[in-house]
Amino acid sequence: MASLSLKHIEKIYENGYHAVHDFNLEVEDKEFIIFVGPSGCGKSTTLRMIAGLEDISEGEFLIDGVKMNDVEPKDRDIAMVFQSYALYPHMTVRDNMGFALKLRKVPQAEIDAKVDEVAKILDLEKFLDRKPKALSGGQRQRVAMGRAIVRQPKVFLMDEPLSNLDAKLRVQMRTEIAKLHERLGTTIIYVTHDQTEAMTLGTRIVVMKDGLVQQINSPEHLYNKPCNLFVAGFIGSPQMNFLDAVVEKKGNDTFLDIAGFPIKLPADKAEALKGYEGKTVIAGIRPEHLLDGRGKEKDFVTIKAPIEVRELLGAEAYLYFTLGGKQCTARVASDVDLYVGMEGTMALDLNKLQLFDKETEQSLLWKEW
Amino acid sequence: MTQNEKAAAAKKRSHAIMIIVLVLLFILFIIPFILVVINVFKTKGDILSNPMALIGAHGFTLQNFPEAMAKMNFFNVFKNSLIITILSTILTILVSAMASFVIVRNGKWKFCSGIFALMVASMVIPFQVLMVPLVSVYGGIFGVLNHRITLILMHTGFSVSMATFMFHGAIHTNIPLELEEAALIDGCSRWQTFWKVVFPLLKPTIATVTIIDAMAFWNDYLLPSLVLTDKSLYTIPIATQAFYGTYSTDIGLVMAALLLAMLPILILYLFLQKYIVAGVTSGAVKG
Repeated sequence: MASLSLKHIEKIYENGYHAVHDFNLEVEDKEFIIFVGPSGCGKSTTLRMIAGLEDISEGEFLIDGVKMNDVEPKDRDIAMVFQSYALYPHMTVRDNMGFALKLRKVPQAEIDAKVDEVAKILDLEKFLDRKPKALSGGQRQRVAMGRAIVRQPKVFLMDEPLSNLDAKLRVQMRTEIAKLHERLGTTIIYVTHDQTEAMTLGTRIVVMKDGLVQQINSPEHLYNKPCNLFVAGFIGSPQMNFLDAVVEKKGNDTFLDIAGFPIKLPADKAEALKGYEGKTVIAGIRPEHLLDGRGKEKDFVTIKAPIEVRELLGAEAYLYFTLGGKQCTARVASDVDLYVGMEGTMALDLNKLQLFDKETEQSLLWKEW
Repeated sequence: MTQNEKAAAAKKRSHAIMIIVLVLLFILFIIPFILVVINVFKTKGDILSNPMALIGAHGFTLQNFPEAMAKMNFFNVFKNSLIITILSTILTILVSAMASFVIVRNGKWKFCSGIFALMVASMVIPFQVLMVPLVSVYGGIFGVLNHRITLILMHTGFSVSMATFMFHGAIHTNIPLELEEAALIDGCSRWQTFWKVVFPLLKPTIATVTIIDAMAFWNDYLLPSLVLTDKSLYTIPIATQAFYGTYSTDIGLVMAALLLAMLPILILYLFLQKYIVAGVTSGAVKG
């Protein structure tokens, strides 16, 4: 197992396209790091630079303090699980899993023992003599994992390994990967565009956009304290509601005018809005922080809007309504009796309210943290 | 008749026409083969008197085989054909598979795309155009005619463009880059990646190229007749010339020689047949 260090990494392609800008990250031993972001944000490129499949244009990449920029992929002691699994179609599962050891001239008996051991962990014993085409998607995925595990590398790299699986299997494999990380205690770098995978698996998440790192922190931190509008919108599902709000000062109190509803801010939030009086900021509130406000008018600030759509998901329901011209979502318990056409009263949990500068899109609460 | 019945009848009719055309074509192609097979077991007189009879008036005979084999020095010419065909085919496959791998994976490099374009362009030049300069250059200037290796290299040179074109398609569409990357991470060098991962996956294309080229090399008459004038180096097609006299042709011996010439390539075809369709279509259709 190993620690990784990425210092001022840049990736500029021959055609001048700048894919990754000044990427800095220190990965500690046994960490589960997630690179997350929309398509084209540079997360896979960064992973491929770590693997040695792409050249690093500028910066330094070190594994256990040793510079790896120009070291061949085979000499970096890493294993990678690809999105398409990349299993060798002409080899059996056993040969696929033992291929890397065979190349390293490990004695056949030792290879067999290791393959058998990993096959047992991944429940692949029955399929060892099959070719990949005779396996289901989930089994292929497990073989790809097995191929990586057998080598006992310093670092595991996973490039969207679950994206080809159906929803049910994806949840199952997600749990399996979490268990494996626990069991093997390996350093893992995992790329995904699925924020649920990011939230459930990662010890730390690197949020990227347009080749730039937006924020690096634990899932809880990113969820509760996003540094900018992008992170706030990307992390969490359904995504955070964003509303234009005008800052007003009345005496010692600071109010936010959201779609005609004056909302008095608590002191800490008011402090963050100093100098914004009369200006418009973006208020962000997660769907689960919009509660059914009926009868709570005394304790909470409430807003009213007609319910346009109600989606029942089983244990909970999503209520959609429009506020200040923007579509908003509230996540409530499924037994809340608010239906389409009814006037919804929503209570805002002001402690959870996020505030962003409309121009820079940076969090105005960021300096507090 | 309802519209549905009309459509069904039309469908049936077109199906029947298609079957008839196929059967006619099959008969057209199989007749020469059948003629060889039925006449090879007859005496020369029987063949001339009734070439269509299944068994001649003098009955079933195997006499044509030993006679033909002796006259054409069969074992020697068979050996020559075998050496030339096998080595030319192997060389063609190795050179073109490796070339196409480099061309596909360095497609952005203009040198590679230029070489590939030249190769494709060379496929449209008929052999007859090159025939005379080829012999005059290799015979007159270099003096390397009458060597098996000369013919082998010429065969390879002429067939490598088509083979590279086929391998190019197969690698481009059927071998994902991720497989090679997985191999690189697993510990392969570029060279190992090609031999351990890419080459085994080209099996259908290898089979197709083997059949197409081995057949062409085995049956080739023109090029060997220009390059090999020494009788001891003759291949089977040139050796069959021995049966065609100025005034008469011993047709029974010709048939025996043809059958002997046909058999190895027929066996090879039957052996590799299951790969042919896969090989021809691979690269044509994106999977």
